[in-house]
Amino acid sequence: MPSGKEKIISILAISVLLLGVSSALYVNATQIDKDTITINGFEYTINQLFSITTKRNIETDEGEKTGIALDDLMIKIGVNCPSCHKYIIKAQDKYQQTVSWDILKTGILTDYSRVIFPDTAHTFWIRDVFEIEVK
Amino acid sequence: MSKIKIFAGILLFGSLWGFSECIIGSRLSDIGVPAGAIMTGFFALTFLVISRMSYKQPGMQLGMGIIAGILRLFNPFVGCHICSALAIMAEGAIFEILWYKISFDLGELRSITTQVSMGILTSYIVYVGGFTLTQILTPIISGPGFYFENLIAIMPNIFSSGLLPALIGGSVLPAIILVKNVDFTIKDRLYYPTTIGVSLLCWFIVVGSWFWINT
Repeated sequence: MPSGKEKIISILAISVLLLGVSSALYVNATQIDKDTITINGFEYTINQLFSITTKRNIETDEGEKTGIALDDLMIKIGVNCPSCHKYIIKAQDKYQQTVSWDILKTGILTDYSRVIFPDTAHTFWIRDVFEIEVK
Repeated sequence: MSKIKIFAGILLFGSLWGFSECIIGSRLSDIGVPAGAIMTGFFALTFLVISRMSYKQPGMQLGMGIIAGILRLFNPFVGCHICSALAIMAEGAIFEILWYKISFDLGELRSITTQVSMGILTSYIVYVGGFTLTQILTPIISGPGFYFENLIAIMPNIFSSGLLPALIGGSVLPAIILVKNVDFTIKDRLYYPTTIGVSLLCWFIVVGSWFWINT
């Protein structure tokens, strides 16, 4: 006959499994699948962005990375006073991080839609970017 | 048990944990395997539970997390050093809290159902807790600042990512308990040379590799 503590452990285990499964279903159902990137409310293809923006090589702890300079990108798409804003970078799986201009201006956007910053923790490196919100 | 003996145990198991995270975890990650889930569900759970069964000392697993986290900062291979180190330290602390009410002889974990359940529960909460804390602490410690809205947005991802470590933990814990009767006792005269020797070897390999790659 299971004791009270054993019952609680089993119930909690089932609860966390249900939480994990339902979260996985939610993430899957709400995943955004699009080929464009929305920046400051306007949609662009990655090729459009690469055609208007300066390329930059940065040195990271994963070696050299190449992409378009995020600071130049914001200027080219017409963000007024880029240093006055915060930037929320959002991934297709709903992961997101907020960075200031001081960080954004060091970063790049690669041709596989990944944002990389050379001097931040990898928590701020975001794959499959679909939106950069200017706030 | 003397305090020096316990400290040697913390150093040994913390070093083994940190070594696994740095060397094995990095290799698994390189080949595209979900390294974080395996590291928590298998390696961390194994070291944490074996040390708890062997030493029966509260607070030991927290110390192991701190040692493993410090060693993780010297990871010679690529990856997020500070976030992983914080996650490991948090995992040690969360394990300590979670197992606070479990007796040292594991009397509550007699049935296989309870063992599987405890494995699932421990791995899930340790992994999700470590992941969550690192999402809070890394932006604060590394400078950019913490935004609560970002944490809320990624909570479903964090909750779903705990599923694999939970399933691994559910099968690993009964296996660990199965071998609890095997006598791992080391003779007193060999205890310190063995624990300190193995710990030094772990640190030598990880820190040595770090110097080799960075110089």
